[in-house]
Amino acid sequence: MVPILLGVVTIIFVLLRLSGDPVRLYLPEDATHQQIAQVRSSLGLDRPIYVQYGIYIARLVKGDLGESIRYRNQDVAAIVMERLPATLELAGASLLVAILISLPLGTLAALNRNRLPDLLSSAVAMLGRAMPNFWVGIMLILFFGIRLEWFPVSGRNGIGSLVLPALTLGASMAALLMRLVRSGMLEVMSQDYVRTAKAKGLPWRTVVVKHGLRNALISYVTVLGLEVAGLMAGAVITEQVFAWPGIGRLAIQAISSLDMSIVQAVVILASVVVMVANLVVDLMYALIDPRVRYA
Amino acid sequence: MPDARRSRRRPVLKRMALVLIGLALVAFAGAQRTLTVAQTVDIPGFDPHNHGLTAVEAVITNVFDYLLFRDANGDIQPALATGYEQVDDLTWRFTLRDGVVWHDGEPFTATDVKFSLERVARDSSLFEHDSFQQIAEVEIVNDHEILIHTTGPDPVLLNRVSRKGADIVPKHVIDAVGWEGFSVNPVGTGPFRFVEWVRDDRVVLEAFPGHWRGAPAWDRLVFRAVPEDATRVGELLTGNVDIAVNFPTQDVERTRGAGAADVVSQPTTRIMMLLFNTADGKATSDPRVREAVELAIDKELLVEVVAGGFGVPVAARVSPGVDMAPMKYYDRNDYNPERAQELLAEAGYGPGDLTIALQGPSGRYPGDADTLAVVQVMLKEVGVNSTLESLEWSAYNSRIWGADNVENIALIGLANSLFDGWFALRSLPCDGAYAKRTNWCNPEFDKLLTEAEFNLDLDERARQIEAAFDIVAVERPMIALFQIDALVGVSNQITWQPRPDEMIWAFDIQPK
Repeated sequence: MVPILLGVVTIIFVLLRLSGDPVRLYLPEDATHQQIAQVRSSLGLDRPIYVQYGIYIARLVKGDLGESIRYRNQDVAAIVMERLPATLELAGASLLVAILISLPLGTLAALNRNRLPDLLSSAVAMLGRAMPNFWVGIMLILFFGIRLEWFPVSGRNGIGSLVLPALTLGASMAALLMRLVRSGMLEVMSQDYVRTAKAKGLPWRTVVVKHGLRNALISYVTVLGLEVAGLMAGAVITEQVFAWPGIGRLAIQAISSLDMSIVQAVVILASVVVMVANLVVDLMYALIDPRVRYA
Repeated sequence: MPDARRSRRRPVLKRMALVLIGLALVAFAGAQRTLTVAQTVDIPGFDPHNHGLTAVEAVITNVFDYLLFRDANGDIQPALATGYEQVDDLTWRFTLRDGVVWHDGEPFTATDVKFSLERVARDSSLFEHDSFQQIAEVEIVNDHEILIHTTGPDPVLLNRVSRKGADIVPKHVIDAVGWEGFSVNPVGTGPFRFVEWVRDDRVVLEAFPGHWRGAPAWDRLVFRAVPEDATRVGELLTGNVDIAVNFPTQDVERTRGAGAADVVSQPTTRIMMLLFNTADGKATSDPRVREAVELAIDKELLVEVVAGGFGVPVAARVSPGVDMAPMKYYDRNDYNPERAQELLAEAGYGPGDLTIALQGPSGRYPGDADTLAVVQVMLKEVGVNSTLESLEWSAYNSRIWGADNVENIALIGLANSLFDGWFALRSLPCDGAYAKRTNWCNPEFDKLLTEAEFNLDLDERARQIEAAFDIVAVERPMIALFQIDALVGVSNQITWQPRPDEMIWAFDIQPK
């Protein structure tokens, strides 16, 4: 884990320093050369890149993530960590939305292959994948936020404000997962052991849930884990549209203003989240598939 | 039987109604008058000397005070200083207001003024330092009187101490908690005191009962950061916010039609300009070509197309409220395509012979990429071909504007935070910030500008500045296109006209 993190940090450190001068972005368009040089020097950006890197790594080892250009005199680690709950809340709710939509609809589609429910759910899935996040978000705001006034338009203020962003972020993921459940179920339901279960006279629900769905879930869980990384990416746009104060908003702002230490901190955090998600997926396999547990 | 049921229900309904009325009364008695403002960006903290952004000062100006203060008309009024006089060429005397207290109850004194102004004047790492380095020292005469010594004669000192970066902060608090603590939990003398800051979400302030101006009309003031245009408009339409800044032009009619809010415009000091690289060998080195470009642009039409009519065509970097800016260049459109074609012919270019590069940012200013696209079409009309390069701001700044890498013509929007005519020209001298972009140098212009910088004879200074403006208008190292209006969505529940300096000074905002 540490070598991967170090690699990620080094790549992002070099890329950021190749992408321009952050000081100019903070000063007015007609800032003097002297003013630019003074601010650059005060931030240590006038030193050679290997010196900056050495200082950064030395501070990083001690848990110091450097100094933000935007948030001067404020602790970078605290700035990034305080956003985490908002993003986790949104990601968790979106996952829930995705699972609640994809499992029943995917199963329904598989059990009614090529009939109306299947065609309808396929159409919905295609739409869900095709519609970009920011557009879905704005449409939901216009309809449920402004016209019906059922939910707050934006911000993070209670459970109500979570509904629209979670729907936005969860919808496209649900579409993909629904297709997975459908194909997984179709495959499993034609297996011998399902036929045996049916022949034994087991209740239909037991056949579908215990023998069918549980086996179909293996690929589902893999993709679910991979999609957590996608959720972080999707959160960037969704958080922007809904003014949700999470990591995504912080990342957008930091990238567009080249606030290097914040970008680096966000990348480190995102890497850790993805690695943890992968670990959780591995553990989930064992839970679902006894073959993994006993292997 | 139904009658019996009804009779049992009545007392219940009656009790419920009484409870509801009671609750409503309690709610009414405790109702707080809250003003909510949606901005595009959040503040980076409460260090007033180190942010450099108008949108940030618009928030924190409600917490702090300057020595002097610009009212809604742009006139300088007393604030923490009740009076001032010029003692000699290098010294100004300020009398400080009696009885002012900080939000923590401590008295405001001359020590705080010395601490604040000397910090921003001496610490060159601060974003606001550049506008205050002319202050050499703040001398304390007594608790309520100070002398400001300047490094040279400074005709715009009063403008300096009434603008962003001149906020007075409490020395005793910063001594105790440092800038780290102060940035997230500030103490000021302004009409509102700090309650809460959730980064990228909201800043919550409340009325400070001991403020020297008296009580504002609002108990609470909330600034929310809502970056997406459509969302900000939505929040205004649903009544969740009272003011939405940076209002998108395309939503003006829809918002007015909905009836809950109006969209008002306010001329700002920001002017959209084209900078020419006049270096030898460039097509734009010929003054006739530069003049032809200006005459080819119908600025009136440009404002209509890219800004929905919310702007004013100008022939120089001038706008109302900017001291000593020659207003003969304001509201002027010298569009003359026939003359432009003649000038191009004189310079040796027939139709289609000349190709020039247009470069500019995209997404930095309202309609910036469209502005350049429309200019391209207008140049085509007089037979000038052009290539167009619109880049996202950080890329544009790093590769073209900040890198002094202007090929022929570069678009930029410039504001005048000092509200001074000299300030509008200060980047153009032979060794100025734009020297390597324009490659333009005029010793006569430099002489006029240097004299104006230190001239305390204000009439003569105005003449010098006007003469310098005239040189720029003739030689055209830069041309001005139009002044941008700020569009602000304002709820019908409040009365407010936005200010030219774009401050959201809540003390002046009234509920209807």
